[in-house]
Amino acid sequence: MSGDRGARARIRRLRAIGLVMLVGISVAACGVPADGGRRGELRGWVIDTPVPKPDLTLTDTNGEAFDLRAETEGYLTLVFFGYTYCPDVCPVHMANLGAVFGDLIPEVRDRIKVVFVSTDPERDTPERLRSWLDNFDRSFVGLRGSLEDINAALSTILLPGVAVIPGEHGSEPLIGHPSAILAFGPDGTARVRYPFGVRQSDWAHDLPLLVQGF
Amino acid sequence: MQWWCFAQQEPWTWTWRPLVGVWVGLVLLVLAYRRLVRRASADPESRKTTRWRRAAFAAGVFLLWASLDWPLGPLGAGYLASVHMSQFLAVGLAAPALLLLSLPPAAFDGLLTRPRTLAVLEEVTSPLSAFFIFNIVMTVSHWPGVVDALMPTQLGSFMLDLAWFAGGLIFWWPVIAPVPRRAAFPPLGKIAYLALNAFLIRPPFAMMVFSQHPIYSIYELAPPPGGDALGDQQFAGAIMKIGSAWILFVGVVVVFKQWVRSESDAEARGT
Repeated sequence: MSGDRGARARIRRLRAIGLVMLVGISVAACGVPADGGRRGELRGWVIDTPVPKPDLTLTDTNGEAFDLRAETEGYLTLVFFGYTYCPDVCPVHMANLGAVFGDLIPEVRDRIKVVFVSTDPERDTPERLRSWLDNFDRSFVGLRGSLEDINAALSTILLPGVAVIPGEHGSEPLIGHPSAILAFGPDGTARVRYPFGVRQSDWAHDLPLLVQGF
Repeated sequence: MQWWCFAQQEPWTWTWRPLVGVWVGLVLLVLAYRRLVRRASADPESRKTTRWRRAAFAAGVFLLWASLDWPLGPLGAGYLASVHMSQFLAVGLAAPALLLLSLPPAAFDGLLTRPRTLAVLEEVTSPLSAFFIFNIVMTVSHWPGVVDALMPTQLGSFMLDLAWFAGGLIFWWPVIAPVPRRAAFPPLGKIAYLALNAFLIRPPFAMMVFSQHPIYSIYELAPPPGGDALGDQQFAGAIMKIGSAWILFVGVVVVFKQWVRSESDAEARGT
């Protein structure tokens, strides 16, 4: 009998613990901010040696010359080197940036330019590039140019050059390219980069700070 | 060779991949069912609705196979939260109910001769315990940190599926299983139990639907067909809420019909 009473008391305790856990989890779900609670620091990776915006003039999707320094002067400029046939990194990176970009308040959004430089100019026609970028945000700038110019620009900002990897068994080639988005501040210098794996909550946290020249 | 689906973070391909663990698990389940049914076949009550029970078993096995094997298994494990949530409805709610319904009453009789197992079952599957166990398993197994930590490995992904299935069995046990007998859980209590779970707003649902940004990194960073991670997550939340409410509503209807039938039978016997 006393064993039964002990067992029942243990079960009552377990039920009480269960109830407390359920309530605790519910409260935690309401109280934890989506950004994980960190504030006041950038979530991108700080670059040890800040790099200036490259001196690069390419062609935009309208066929017009686009001088990166002149056209983006005074803006927070997010530059990404990738290609539209990319199966993983590029569409995910751009989709996450695009999702947050559309939700920014105009005061922040109007001070940011997103520039996507194609590392596969042969297959990324202006039409294809424009149509692909429009999936994410119609304001995103798409640029094309020769791989020599692009590699030269990449070397000035200390990023690895473009590598063409032939496809196996007749499949399309893969293009090796930097997977990080570089954030050039309004002063034209990049102090922080965003590697693949950066999440929407990170962008939402950092972009307003970067616009302020954080 | 892959034995269970997991989040691989690789571009999706429609090339078929075998998931050996799913097949082995289902074969074991079928063998166990055959053994239980054969043992119970001596009982005339258990023989009465064999066809209906076999249909329930087939439906339960089909749901498990369809949701865990390729392509839904890998799609839900690493690409789309909405598919992941559909898997939960199948593995954690619908299949356990169907599998318990598929067992003839005599299949549970073996438990009556095992007092220790019966004592554990009595406590674990009491309506109050089952309510808490199911809701804690459901909440923890959908918690972003847990999902992101477990889904990238086969073992972790398997553990989540197993937790869903076990949680579902415990949840349905007091409603469906005849052993242990519970005089204090009448049909009205069962209806209230199911309805409460249908209406309950659980933290994962609230996070999925109301969060400003995607909460699961594996789906947010998944290559296409992932993409609109937030939209997919909100859709997953809707599937969780509406889908589970429908399954539980079906349970309420079945319990109610059985209740009405037993009352009519009792009345007929009385007159």
